[in-house]
Amino acid sequence: MLVLAPVQFKAPPEEVEAIATRAIVPPARVRPVDGSVAKLQEMFAKVPVAAVIRRSEELPRALASQVPAVFFVRAPAFHLGPLVWAVQAKHKMAFVHIDLIAGLGKDRAGIAFLAREIGVNGIITSHSGLVAAAKAERVIAIQRLLLYDDLALPSAMTALEHARPDIVEVLPGVIFPLVVDQIRARFALPIIVGGFVTEPGQREAALQRGALAISTSTAGLWS
Amino acid sequence: MRSPEVSGVMLPAVRDGASLNHALDLGYRQVLLERGSLLALVGPLVSAARQGIAIFVNLDGVEGLAPDTAALNFLATDLGFSGVISVKPHALRDASRFRLRTVQRIHAIDSTGLETGLSSIVSPVPYAIAVAPAVAVPQVISTVRAATAAPIWGTGFITSVGQASEVLAAGAAVVSSSSPEVWHAFSPVPVR
Repeated sequence: MLVLAPVQFKAPPEEVEAIATRAIVPPARVRPVDGSVAKLQEMFAKVPVAAVIRRSEELPRALASQVPAVFFVRAPAFHLGPLVWAVQAKHKMAFVHIDLIAGLGKDRAGIAFLAREIGVNGIITSHSGLVAAAKAERVIAIQRLLLYDDLALPSAMTALEHARPDIVEVLPGVIFPLVVDQIRARFALPIIVGGFVTEPGQREAALQRGALAISTSTAGLWS
Repeated sequence: MRSPEVSGVMLPAVRDGASLNHALDLGYRQVLLERGSLLALVGPLVSAARQGIAIFVNLDGVEGLAPDTAALNFLATDLGFSGVISVKPHALRDASRFRLRTVQRIHAIDSTGLETGLSSIVSPVPYAIAVAPAVAVPQVISTVRAATAAPIWGTGFITSVGQASEVLAAGAAVVSSSSPEVWHAFSPVPVR
Protein backbone atom coordinates (compact mmCIF):
# COMPACT_ATOMS: atom_id res chain seq x y z
CA MET A 1 0.00 0.00 0.00
CA LEU A 2 1.23 3.36 -0.94
CA VAL A 3 1.31 5.91 1.83
CA LEU A 4 1.71 9.48 0.80
CA ALA A 5 3.83 11.54 3.06
CA PRO A 6 2.06 14.71 4.22
CA VAL A 7 3.11 17.68 2.18
CA GLN A 8 5.67 19.75 4.01
CA PHE A 9 5.63 23.39 3.10
CA LYS A 10 8.31 25.50 4.63
CA ALA A 11 9.12 28.97 3.45
CA PRO A 12 12.72 30.04 3.77
CA PRO A 13 13.27 31.95 7.05
CA GLU A 14 13.91 35.31 5.38
CA GLU A 15 10.57 35.03 3.58
CA VAL A 16 8.74 34.22 6.82
CA GLU A 17 10.18 37.38 8.30
CA ALA A 18 9.16 39.39 5.24
CA ILE A 19 5.59 38.11 5.46
CA ALA A 20 5.42 38.94 9.17
CA THR A 21 6.75 42.42 8.49
CA ARG A 22 4.15 43.02 5.80
CA ALA A 23 1.43 41.96 8.19
CA ILE A 24 2.28 44.48 10.92
CA VAL A 25 3.72 47.43 9.06
CA PRO A 26 1.22 49.81 7.46
CA PRO A 27 2.06 50.60 3.84
CA ALA A 28 2.62 54.28 4.64
CA ARG A 29 5.84 53.51 6.48
CA VAL A 30 8.98 53.92 4.44
CA ARG A 31 12.31 52.50 5.38
CA PRO A 32 14.95 55.23 5.39
CA VAL A 33 17.85 54.24 3.18
CA ASP A 34 20.52 55.75 5.42
CA GLY A 35 19.71 57.07 8.87
CA SER A 36 23.26 57.47 10.11
CA VAL A 37 24.72 60.47 11.93
CA ALA A 38 27.15 60.94 9.03
CA LYS A 39 24.23 61.19 6.60
CA LEU A 40 22.48 63.70 8.85
CA GLN A 41 25.64 65.82 9.04
CA GLU A 42 25.91 65.71 5.27
CA MET A 43 22.29 66.87 4.96
CA PHE A 44 22.80 69.65 7.51
CA ALA A 45 25.85 70.84 5.56
CA LYS A 46 23.44 71.80 2.78
CA VAL A 47 20.57 73.17 4.86
CA PRO A 48 21.61 73.67 8.52
CA VAL A 49 18.11 73.90 10.00
CA ALA A 50 15.84 71.47 11.86
CA ALA A 51 12.13 72.34 11.96
CA VAL A 52 10.63 72.08 15.45
CA ILE A 53 6.99 70.95 15.25
CA ARG A 54 4.78 71.63 18.26
CA ARG A 55 1.38 71.06 16.63
CA SER A 56 0.56 68.80 13.71
CA GLU A 57 -0.85 71.69 11.66
CA GLU A 58 2.68 73.13 11.49
CA LEU A 59 3.95 70.03 9.69
CA PRO A 60 2.88 70.71 6.06
CA ARG A 61 5.02 73.82 5.87
CA ALA A 62 8.03 71.90 7.19
CA LEU A 63 7.42 69.13 4.66
CA ALA A 64 7.34 71.67 1.85
CA SER A 65 10.58 73.31 3.04
CA GLN A 66 14.16 72.22 2.40
CA VAL A 67 14.95 71.32 6.03
CA PRO A 68 16.56 67.89 6.29
CA ALA A 69 15.24 67.11 9.78
CA VAL A 70 12.04 67.54 11.75
CA PHE A 71 11.96 67.57 15.56
CA PHE A 72 8.63 66.58 17.08
CA VAL A 73 8.14 68.02 20.56
CA ARG A 74 4.99 67.47 22.59
CA ALA A 75 3.46 65.04 20.09
CA PRO A 76 0.99 62.37 21.26
CA ALA A 77 2.97 59.13 21.04
CA PHE A 78 0.26 56.86 19.77
CA HIS A 79 -0.74 59.11 16.89
CA LEU A 80 2.77 59.92 15.82
CA GLY A 81 3.34 57.23 13.20
CA PRO A 82 1.73 58.90 10.14
CA LEU A 83 3.47 62.21 10.95
CA VAL A 84 6.87 60.53 11.15
CA TRP A 85 6.27 58.55 7.94
CA ALA A 86 5.18 61.68 6.10
CA VAL A 87 8.53 63.26 7.06
CA GLN A 88 10.49 60.20 5.92
CA ALA A 89 8.56 60.02 2.63
CA LYS A 90 10.04 63.47 1.92
CA HIS A 91 13.55 62.05 2.51
CA LYS A 92 13.90 63.98 5.76
CA MET A 93 14.80 62.52 9.13
CA ALA A 94 12.28 62.50 11.98
CA PHE A 95 13.29 62.99 15.62
CA VAL A 96 11.07 62.77 18.65
CA HIS A 97 11.60 64.58 21.94
CA ILE A 98 10.74 61.78 24.33
CA ASP A 99 10.76 63.90 27.51
CA LEU A 100 7.76 65.94 26.34
CA ILE A 101 5.84 63.30 24.45
CA ALA A 102 2.37 62.54 25.79
CA GLY A 103 1.32 59.02 26.67
CA LEU A 104 4.68 57.29 26.45
CA GLY A 105 6.89 56.00 29.27
CA LYS A 106 10.19 57.83 29.51
CA ASP A 107 12.08 54.56 29.61
CA ARG A 108 13.64 51.79 27.50
CA ALA A 109 10.27 50.44 26.43
CA GLY A 110 9.19 53.89 25.30
CA ILE A 111 12.37 54.28 23.24
CA ALA A 112 11.95 50.80 21.78
CA PHE A 113 8.39 51.67 20.73
CA LEU A 114 9.54 54.81 18.92
CA ALA A 115 12.49 53.06 17.29
CA ARG A 116 10.87 49.78 16.28
CA GLU A 117 7.14 50.39 15.90
CA ILE A 118 7.27 53.92 14.52
CA GLY A 119 10.76 53.83 13.07
CA VAL A 120 11.95 57.27 14.12
CA ASN A 121 15.44 58.27 13.00
CA GLY A 122 16.40 59.60 16.39
CA ILE A 123 15.50 60.52 19.93
CA ILE A 124 15.91 63.86 21.67
CA THR A 125 16.20 63.81 25.45
CA SER A 126 17.88 65.66 28.29
CA HIS A 127 18.32 62.45 30.31
CA SER A 128 21.60 60.56 30.04
CA GLY A 129 19.92 57.22 30.75
CA LEU A 130 17.64 57.60 27.75
CA VAL A 131 20.61 58.45 25.52
CA ALA A 132 22.06 55.03 26.29
CA ALA A 133 18.71 53.37 25.53
CA ALA A 134 18.46 55.23 22.21
CA LYS A 135 21.95 54.15 21.22
CA ALA A 136 21.09 50.57 22.11
CA GLU A 137 18.16 50.82 19.68
CA ARG A 138 20.57 52.11 17.00
CA VAL A 139 18.80 55.41 16.47
CA ILE A 140 20.53 58.80 16.60
CA ALA A 141 20.69 60.15 20.17
CA ILE A 142 20.49 63.92 20.60
CA GLN A 143 21.06 65.06 24.18
CA ARG A 144 19.59 68.41 25.16
CA LEU A 145 21.73 70.59 27.36
CA LEU A 146 19.22 72.84 29.12
CA LEU A 147 21.33 75.73 30.29
CA TYR A 148 19.27 77.90 32.59
CA ASP A 149 21.83 78.16 35.33
CA ASP A 150 25.61 78.66 35.12
CA LEU A 151 26.07 76.72 38.35
CA ALA A 152 24.47 73.71 36.65
CA LEU A 153 26.89 73.75 33.71
CA PRO A 154 29.56 71.51 35.30
CA SER A 155 27.05 68.78 36.15
CA ALA A 156 25.51 69.06 32.68
CA MET A 157 28.98 68.55 31.16
CA THR A 158 29.57 65.51 33.38
CA ALA A 159 26.24 64.05 32.28
CA LEU A 160 27.29 64.57 28.67
CA GLU A 161 30.58 62.81 29.33
CA HIS A 162 28.79 59.74 30.70
CA ALA A 163 26.06 59.59 28.07
CA ARG A 164 28.17 60.29 24.97
CA PRO A 165 25.28 61.19 22.67
CA ASP A 166 25.73 61.43 18.89
CA ILE A 167 24.78 65.12 18.91
CA VAL A 168 24.28 67.69 21.65
CA GLU A 169 21.58 70.34 21.42
CA VAL A 170 22.36 73.51 23.41
CA LEU A 171 19.40 75.60 24.62
CA PRO A 172 18.53 78.46 24.79
CA GLY A 173 20.36 79.85 21.77
CA VAL A 174 21.46 82.99 23.58
CA ILE A 175 23.67 80.82 25.85
CA PHE A 176 25.59 79.14 23.01
CA PRO A 177 28.30 81.82 22.56
CA LEU A 178 28.87 81.80 26.35
CA VAL A 179 29.50 78.05 26.58
CA VAL A 180 30.73 76.94 23.15
CA ASP A 181 34.43 77.12 24.06
CA GLN A 182 33.93 75.14 27.27
CA ILE A 183 32.00 72.42 25.44
CA ARG A 184 34.48 72.29 22.54
CA ALA A 185 37.37 71.98 24.97
CA ARG A 186 35.93 68.70 26.25
CA PHE A 187 33.90 67.18 23.44
CA ALA A 188 34.20 66.85 19.69
CA LEU A 189 30.44 66.36 19.37
CA PRO A 190 28.42 68.14 16.70
CA ILE A 191 26.27 70.86 18.29
CA ILE A 192 22.75 71.95 17.38
CA VAL A 193 21.62 75.30 18.76
CA GLY A 194 17.97 75.79 19.66
CA GLY A 195 15.64 77.77 21.88
CA PHE A 196 14.39 81.25 20.92
CA VAL A 197 16.31 81.24 17.66
CA THR A 198 13.85 83.41 15.76
CA GLU A 199 15.94 85.77 13.63
CA PRO A 200 18.16 85.05 10.59
CA GLY A 201 20.98 86.90 12.38
CA GLN A 202 20.85 84.45 15.29
CA ARG A 203 21.01 81.53 12.87
CA GLU A 204 24.08 82.97 11.13
CA ALA A 205 25.79 83.76 14.45
CA ALA A 206 25.33 80.19 15.70
CA LEU A 207 26.64 78.69 12.46
CA GLN A 208 29.62 81.02 12.48
CA ARG A 209 30.51 79.85 15.98
CA GLY A 210 30.63 76.29 14.67
CA ALA A 211 27.14 74.91 15.23
CA LEU A 212 26.18 72.00 12.96
CA ALA A 213 22.64 73.38 12.65
CA ILE A 214 19.96 75.31 14.45
CA SER A 215 16.56 74.02 15.53
CA THR A 216 13.62 76.40 15.42
CA SER A 217 9.83 76.50 15.37
CA THR A 218 9.96 79.82 13.49
CA ALA A 219 8.78 78.76 10.04
CA GLY A 220 10.41 81.81 8.45
CA LEU A 221 13.83 80.27 9.17
CA TRP A 222 13.05 76.91 7.55
CA SER A 223 13.73 78.04 4.01
CA MET B 1 5.15 89.27 56.57
CA ARG B 2 7.74 90.43 59.03
CA SER B 3 10.73 88.86 57.32
CA PRO B 4 12.97 91.28 55.41
CA GLU B 5 12.18 92.43 51.86
CA VAL B 6 14.35 92.53 48.75
CA SER B 7 15.82 95.98 48.20
CA GLY B 8 17.79 97.04 45.15
CA VAL B 9 18.28 95.31 41.82
CA MET B 10 21.07 92.82 42.57
CA LEU B 11 20.49 89.53 44.39
CA PRO B 12 23.81 87.75 45.03
CA ALA B 13 23.54 83.97 44.50
CA VAL B 14 25.69 82.22 47.12
CA ARG B 15 26.52 78.60 47.71
CA ASP B 16 28.85 78.45 50.70
CA GLY B 17 30.07 80.38 53.74
CA ALA B 18 32.79 82.21 51.80
CA SER B 19 30.46 83.55 49.12
CA LEU B 20 27.85 84.44 51.75
CA ASN B 21 30.39 86.48 53.72
CA HIS B 22 31.67 88.12 50.56
CA ALA B 23 28.16 89.29 49.58
CA LEU B 24 27.46 90.58 53.11
CA ASP B 25 30.84 92.38 53.24
CA LEU B 26 29.86 94.23 50.08
CA GLY B 27 26.86 95.59 51.96
CA TYR B 28 24.13 93.47 50.42
CA ARG B 29 20.99 93.09 52.52
CA GLN B 30 19.76 90.06 50.54
CA VAL B 31 21.12 86.76 49.28
CA LEU B 32 19.84 83.78 47.34
CA LEU B 33 21.10 80.39 48.48
CA GLU B 34 21.28 78.83 45.04
CA ARG B 35 23.29 75.62 45.58
CA GLY B 36 25.09 73.76 48.31
CA SER B 37 23.97 72.36 51.63
CA LEU B 38 21.52 74.54 53.51
CA LEU B 39 22.09 72.54 56.67
CA ALA B 40 25.85 73.21 56.63
CA LEU B 41 25.16 76.96 56.46
CA VAL B 42 22.27 77.23 58.91
CA GLY B 43 24.29 79.09 61.59
CA PRO B 44 25.58 81.98 59.46
CA LEU B 45 22.30 82.24 57.53
CA VAL B 46 20.21 82.48 60.68
CA SER B 47 22.43 85.15 62.20
CA ALA B 48 22.20 87.10 58.92
CA ALA B 49 18.41 86.76 58.92
CA ARG B 50 18.30 88.06 62.52
CA GLN B 51 20.20 91.14 61.36
CA GLY B 52 17.55 91.85 58.75
CA ILE B 53 19.13 90.20 55.72
CA ALA B 54 16.51 88.84 53.32
CA ILE B 55 17.32 85.21 52.59
CA PHE B 56 15.83 83.38 49.64
CA VAL B 57 16.38 79.67 49.09
CA ASN B 58 16.33 77.84 45.77
CA LEU B 59 14.32 74.77 46.79
CA ASP B 60 15.31 72.94 43.61
CA GLY B 61 19.02 73.60 44.03
CA VAL B 62 19.99 73.28 47.70
CA GLU B 63 20.87 69.96 49.26
CA GLY B 64 19.62 68.66 52.56
CA LEU B 65 15.99 69.81 52.32
CA ALA B 66 12.94 67.92 51.17
CA PRO B 67 10.50 70.07 49.19
CA ASP B 68 7.72 69.34 51.70
CA THR B 69 5.73 71.23 54.31
CA ALA B 70 8.04 70.27 57.18
CA ALA B 71 11.00 71.86 55.40
CA LEU B 72 9.03 74.99 54.48
CA ASN B 73 7.77 75.39 58.02
CA PHE B 74 11.38 75.12 59.24
CA LEU B 75 12.57 77.81 56.80
CA ALA B 76 9.76 80.20 57.68
CA THR B 77 9.23 79.66 61.40
CA ASP B 78 12.54 78.43 62.80
CA LEU B 79 14.97 80.22 60.51
CA GLY B 80 13.02 83.39 59.65
CA PHE B 81 13.96 83.32 55.96
CA SER B 82 12.20 85.63 53.53
CA GLY B 83 11.23 83.42 50.62
CA VAL B 84 11.80 80.49 48.31
CA ILE B 85 12.39 79.98 44.60
CA SER B 86 11.16 76.90 42.80
CA VAL B 87 9.82 75.71 39.47
CA LYS B 88 7.36 73.45 41.30
CA PRO B 89 3.88 74.98 41.69
CA HIS B 90 2.91 72.70 44.58
CA ALA B 91 5.99 73.66 46.60
CA LEU B 92 5.18 77.36 46.07
CA ARG B 93 1.57 76.87 47.12
CA ASP B 94 2.76 75.19 50.32
CA ALA B 95 5.33 77.95 50.87
CA SER B 96 2.72 80.71 50.70
CA ARG B 97 0.83 78.93 53.49
CA PHE B 98 3.85 79.49 55.72
CA ARG B 99 3.94 83.17 54.71
CA LEU B 100 7.14 82.77 52.72
CA ARG B 101 7.50 84.99 49.65
CA THR B 102 7.20 82.76 46.61
CA VAL B 103 9.33 83.25 43.53
CA GLN B 104 8.28 81.00 40.67
CA ARG B 105 11.13 80.08 38.38
CA ILE B 106 10.26 79.76 34.70
CA HIS B 107 12.72 78.01 32.42
CA ALA B 108 13.15 80.06 29.26
CA ILE B 109 14.71 77.25 27.25
CA ASP B 110 12.55 77.39 24.13
CA SER B 111 9.06 78.58 23.22
CA THR B 112 7.54 75.20 24.15
CA GLY B 113 9.14 75.22 27.59
CA LEU B 114 8.19 78.84 28.19
CA GLU B 115 4.54 78.10 27.34
CA THR B 116 4.51 75.20 29.80
CA GLY B 117 6.07 77.35 32.52
CA LEU B 118 3.71 80.26 32.02
CA SER B 119 0.67 78.01 32.07
CA SER B 120 1.74 76.76 35.52
CA ILE B 121 1.96 80.16 37.24
CA VAL B 122 0.47 79.70 40.68
CA SER B 123 -2.27 81.50 42.43
CA PRO B 124 -2.03 83.53 44.66
CA VAL B 125 0.16 85.60 42.33
CA PRO B 126 3.80 84.91 43.18
CA TYR B 127 6.00 87.58 44.77
CA ALA B 128 8.04 87.44 41.55
CA ILE B 129 8.62 85.37 38.43
CA ALA B 130 12.26 84.39 37.98
CA VAL B 131 13.21 83.82 34.35
CA ALA B 132 16.11 81.39 33.92
CA PRO B 133 18.54 81.90 32.28
CA ALA B 134 18.48 85.63 32.94
CA VAL B 135 20.22 86.37 29.63
CA ALA B 136 17.03 85.24 27.86
CA VAL B 137 14.99 88.00 29.59
CA PRO B 138 15.23 90.53 26.73
CA GLN B 139 13.84 87.89 24.33
CA VAL B 140 10.96 86.65 26.48
CA ILE B 141 9.92 89.50 28.76
CA SER B 142 6.99 90.65 26.60
CA THR B 143 5.56 87.11 26.58
CA VAL B 144 6.00 86.80 30.36
CA ARG B 145 4.47 90.24 30.97
CA ALA B 146 1.41 89.22 28.97
CA ALA B 147 0.93 86.21 31.25
CA THR B 148 1.42 87.75 34.70
CA ALA B 149 1.43 91.00 36.63
CA ALA B 150 4.16 89.79 39.01
CA PRO B 151 7.57 91.51 38.92
CA ILE B 152 10.10 89.70 36.72
CA TRP B 153 13.50 88.65 37.99
CA GLY B 154 16.37 87.22 36.00
CA THR B 155 18.45 84.35 37.46
CA GLY B 156 21.26 82.27 36.01
CA PHE B 157 24.14 82.82 33.57
CA ILE B 158 24.84 86.41 34.52
CA THR B 159 28.61 86.46 34.45
CA SER B 160 29.35 90.04 33.43
CA VAL B 161 28.25 93.52 34.45
CA GLY B 162 27.13 94.21 30.88
CA GLN B 163 24.77 91.22 30.87
CA ALA B 164 23.25 92.27 34.20
CA SER B 165 22.67 95.81 32.93
CA GLU B 166 21.09 94.50 29.73
CA VAL B 167 18.65 92.32 31.66
CA LEU B 168 17.68 95.21 33.95
CA ALA B 169 17.32 97.56 30.97
CA ALA B 170 14.97 95.03 29.35
CA GLY B 171 12.66 95.43 32.33
CA ALA B 172 13.71 92.92 35.00
CA ALA B 173 13.15 94.23 38.53
CA VAL B 174 15.91 92.15 40.10
CA VAL B 175 18.81 90.20 38.67
CA SER B 176 20.70 87.44 40.41
CA SER B 177 24.33 86.52 39.78
CA SER B 178 26.90 84.21 41.31
CA SER B 179 29.81 86.31 40.07
CA PRO B 180 31.57 88.44 42.75
CA GLU B 181 32.74 90.77 39.98
CA VAL B 182 29.13 91.60 39.18
CA TRP B 183 28.35 91.98 42.90
CA HIS B 184 31.13 94.55 43.17
CA ALA B 185 29.74 96.64 40.34
CA PHE B 186 26.27 96.73 41.87
CA SER B 187 27.45 96.95 45.47
CA PRO B 188 25.19 99.16 47.61
CA VAL B 189 28.20 100.56 49.51
CA PRO B 190 31.04 102.39 47.76
CA VAL B 191 34.02 100.09 47.24
CA ARG B 192 37.17 101.55 48.76
